[in-house]
Amino acid sequence: MLTRRDILHKSVALGSVVIASHFSADAMLAAFQEKEKQLRKPTPPNPLGPFYKRLTPMKDMLCAPGDRGMPLTLSGRVFNTRGDVVPDATIEIWQTNHQGYYDLDGYRYRGKLQVNKSGGYRFESVIPGHYPDKSRICQHVHYVVVAPGLKTLVTQLYFATDPVFEGDPTKNYARDPLIETPELIRPVMLTGDPNEVHAEVQFELCLEHL
Amino acid sequence: MRLNIAVVLLLCCGPVAVSAQTAQQEKTINLPAGISVEAASISRTGNLIATICSDHVVRVWSARSGELLRSLDENREPPSALQFSGDGRLLGVAYEIVGYEKGVIKVFDTDSWKVQHAFADSLPMYSLTFSPDGLRLAGAGDFDTNVWELASRKKAATISPPFGSSSSISFSPDGRWLASADGDAFVRVHDANSGSMRSATKDLLLEPMTVAFSPDGNWLLTGGADKTISMIDPDNGKVLRAFPKQPGLVWSLDVSADGKQAAAVYRSAERFLDINQLALWDLAKGTAIADFQKPGVTIVGGAFVGDHYLFTAASGNELTVWSIQ
Repeated sequence: MLTRRDILHKSVALGSVVIASHFSADAMLAAFQEKEKQLRKPTPPNPLGPFYKRLTPMKDMLCAPGDRGMPLTLSGRVFNTRGDVVPDATIEIWQTNHQGYYDLDGYRYRGKLQVNKSGGYRFESVIPGHYPDKSRICQHVHYVVVAPGLKTLVTQLYFATDPVFEGDPTKNYARDPLIETPELIRPVMLTGDPNEVHAEVQFELCLEHL
Repeated sequence: MRLNIAVVLLLCCGPVAVSAQTAQQEKTINLPAGISVEAASISRTGNLIATICSDHVVRVWSARSGELLRSLDENREPPSALQFSGDGRLLGVAYEIVGYEKGVIKVFDTDSWKVQHAFADSLPMYSLTFSPDGLRLAGAGDFDTNVWELASRKKAATISPPFGSSSSISFSPDGRWLASADGDAFVRVHDANSGSMRSATKDLLLEPMTVAFSPDGNWLLTGGADKTISMIDPDNGKVLRAFPKQPGLVWSLDVSADGKQAAAVYRSAERFLDINQLALWDLAKGTAIADFQKPGVTIVGGAFVGDHYLFTAASGNELTVWSIQ
């Protein structure tokens, strides 16, 4: 079976790839391959949900000191499908408290920020609870990501530790009727010590071009 | 006040079946074992009830006798929405084509039950509405709302909120405008022919879940996650009047033909799957004049029929038909 490198060399030989550079064909093909790798798959969308609230304040600290629940850091970067970081994206997130209730009166567990120059973001919160109605909806955080020239992304992040998945999100993700791909279920890293455990979740976001 | 009394009574007496004085149980329909009703539409003529059932069959019942009139089994594609036209002569049913992220809408003639029109060029639709003259059909899906001309089968307009989708749509009485309750917390009014926007209300913060045009087209009624019913001017999107302190998230609204009353169905903010409360509002006085609450049932559809409001409640394989004067 031909490797990608073999195919590229064959393409050069057949003229379907022309290298117009003073660098060697090997170096140019290696660079081409490297650039190809950077192509990113757009983050799958997921429903907006019924509890979006307009005019969410700019803040990255969603919880208050003393809030109950497992402390959570959500972080990642925003890319476009070419693999470039998007330094001018705005991320808005909202979630329930640890008991599964949204704040409909104020803006608790709701926040918005402008990513940094590296496309990076970081929110401090708690792990959201399950809805109290015993529905099959898993713990989740809502995201809306907006950036000039890119398609607005509406999606949700889910937690691999959610008991609904029974430790195997790849196999059991469809138990939540809203989850169509396990890509939105992120691993949870526990840090700190048993007396002060802290969850960290990374969620990289990739937006499509308009 | 009446609502509060009803709630107190419920708390005192446990799961009392019905709290409103004027709600009358008209009929009980028993479905086949293991089959339940997920959604329903009642014709404004008051004679037909169409139901989306858990086995993906649309069953149509006589509202008067409870008799099963028709089963529409379209290859067991899951139906996602259904709606009668204003004169009850058409029934629109939206289906999801599983595995293809596509949808199809079929419009049935309610005399022959033959498919009169089919529209297959869309994503799945979750809300349907006919224009009052029955000449156009609008469907709202995950991203777009489409308006189709039934006779030519052409798409007249495509309307998309900046993000999210429209959970409820309503034509103006003259069919010129289409109002939408949008997930990004706006109520918008668009030209149903061109798709150009007429107005967008900036006075809401939380998502409106339902919208209904008044019979004279001079105002809109909307409600949603803010537990408020608001009257909106379709010209400029401004809130003309608000009825706050609703007992739950306002899940659906229907306005009577004379524009004097509105029926509101509520979704519990705490137990989101619970849709078992309803109130009839006097819009001039801004007071609830009748209410209904029955734990364990799900209110799945309703319509003003003449001088009363007819609605259905599902529980297990039973569908009960109620009316409120």
